[in-house]
Amino acid sequence: MTRDELKTYLDSNYSDKIRPLDTGRYDLIYEINAENLFSFAKAIAEDENLKFDYICNIGGSDTGENLEAVYSVASVSKKLRLDFKVILPYENPEIESVQKVWKGANWHEREMWELFGINIKNHNDLKCFLLPEDWNQGHPMRKDWDAPDFVRFPEL
Amino acid sequence: MTEYRTEEYQINMGPHHPSTHGVCRLLLTMDGEKVIKVEPYIGYLHRSIEKICENRTYQMCIPILDRFEYVTAMSCNYVFSLASERLAAIEVPERAEYLRVIMLELNRIASHLIFFGTTAMDIGALTPFLYALREREMIMDLFEMTCGQRLTYNYIRIGGVSKDIQEEFIPKCREAIKIIDDKVEEYKRLLNGNPIWKARTIGVGKLDPDLAIAYGASGPILRASGVSYDLRRDDPYSIYDRFDYNIPTYKNGDVYDRYMIRLDEIQESCKIVSQALDSMPEGEIQAKVRPRFMPPEGEVYTRIENSRGEMGVYLRSNGTNKPLRLKARGGSYAHLQLLPEISTNCLIADLVAIFASFDIIMPEIDR
Repeated sequence: MTRDELKTYLDSNYSDKIRPLDTGRYDLIYEINAENLFSFAKAIAEDENLKFDYICNIGGSDTGENLEAVYSVASVSKKLRLDFKVILPYENPEIESVQKVWKGANWHEREMWELFGINIKNHNDLKCFLLPEDWNQGHPMRKDWDAPDFVRFPEL
Repeated sequence: MTEYRTEEYQINMGPHHPSTHGVCRLLLTMDGEKVIKVEPYIGYLHRSIEKICENRTYQMCIPILDRFEYVTAMSCNYVFSLASERLAAIEVPERAEYLRVIMLELNRIASHLIFFGTTAMDIGALTPFLYALREREMIMDLFEMTCGQRLTYNYIRIGGVSKDIQEEFIPKCREAIKIIDDKVEEYKRLLNGNPIWKARTIGVGKLDPDLAIAYGASGPILRASGVSYDLRRDDPYSIYDRFDYNIPTYKNGDVYDRYMIRLDEIQESCKIVSQALDSMPEGEIQAKVRPRFMPPEGEVYTRIENSRGEMGVYLRSNGTNKPLRLKARGGSYAHLQLLPEISTNCLIADLVAIFASFDIIMPEIDR
């Protein structure tokens, strides 16, 4: 399946859950609502034509306007790649864990929870990870968080 | 008659343990010599590379990302450059692509040689370590000749490479490749038939292919379990489609296979380098990139085949000269996550062998 065929397939079969975004520069990227996340992940992992069984990366992101959780998945047998993201508000961001679909999502989600403060529902092991155990100074990867001795790099 | 029983106890392996290759702490729950449970703790080497990069221009990110995975720093340079080029739709000159492939493959060989040496040393054979570092030295000399650095190169830049190779590079590289290719046969003779080596590795730490995929394992570890998945072929980048090479695959997924596959890959990489040296054209080595590099708004997740599996960078641009978000993903991140799954109920000595066979390095996990 080529990139265009994948786009046609996704648009015809999953259009009720996902919306294409035009920010992707190489692979396809879609936006998805938080409540559809788990069911969509399960569906594309089990779909015989897609078989997205491999999780590359999950990365939180703070754009300055909202938070995002970006999922990069791939299919080992069908050689496909797809990105999709959930856009979340700063107030009580919450998504469901996709660990039941991709076991490797575990640590990626833990990191996102810790560094961006995105709450993960149904995660089996949410505890401190990169930060010290007694950390209580917020979420370091958010844009409004600066280290005490932080010096902004001068504009060039 | 008195009934004897053992009591479970917990011990720390690491953070400063010689076989954890960095500062990884494993909290082991033991029953005598048997490992009941493994809990990895990470973060001892956290340098906050991602946050630092958000405060730097794109070109400044490259030397910082050298430290992301310092055993194959060329791959770190490359994956970030590739992501930036995809964001800004930059065409890289032909000769630069060839130079990149040569450097990436030489770096892969150097990394696999380190694997070969340290794994054998962890399992108890010291000689391979000395042999492997001797051969690696030739590659380090080639890198030093080209970019002045032996470990953190800052060589592959956005749009090309920083310097052209010197005249004596090509004959020296050919010689090094030939020596390494021969030496791999010697390594195989040294270890493959050794009864102690076989007892310590065959059937130890078996990894099921479905489990490997579910955890996002990649690279040699996935291929040792019988899944032929190599991003150089399956998610093509650069000019790898022009070269003739095999993708070695093994079936059993034990420590022995994970060791064998890397020796085979060294030989395949030698093939790629020698073909690239033969067919390298003359010409430019750097595309025209403005010093104030500002890719248009957009996002991209780029991944390449590194010696430790999939190395990826998620790069997000908001149209300024600094990345809005950079997330680096290394192969070891998935592999360390997988470790507790396959090392439960093994002996503590086998845990060392499994850990070594995964070729985990910590900077890639902590970032």
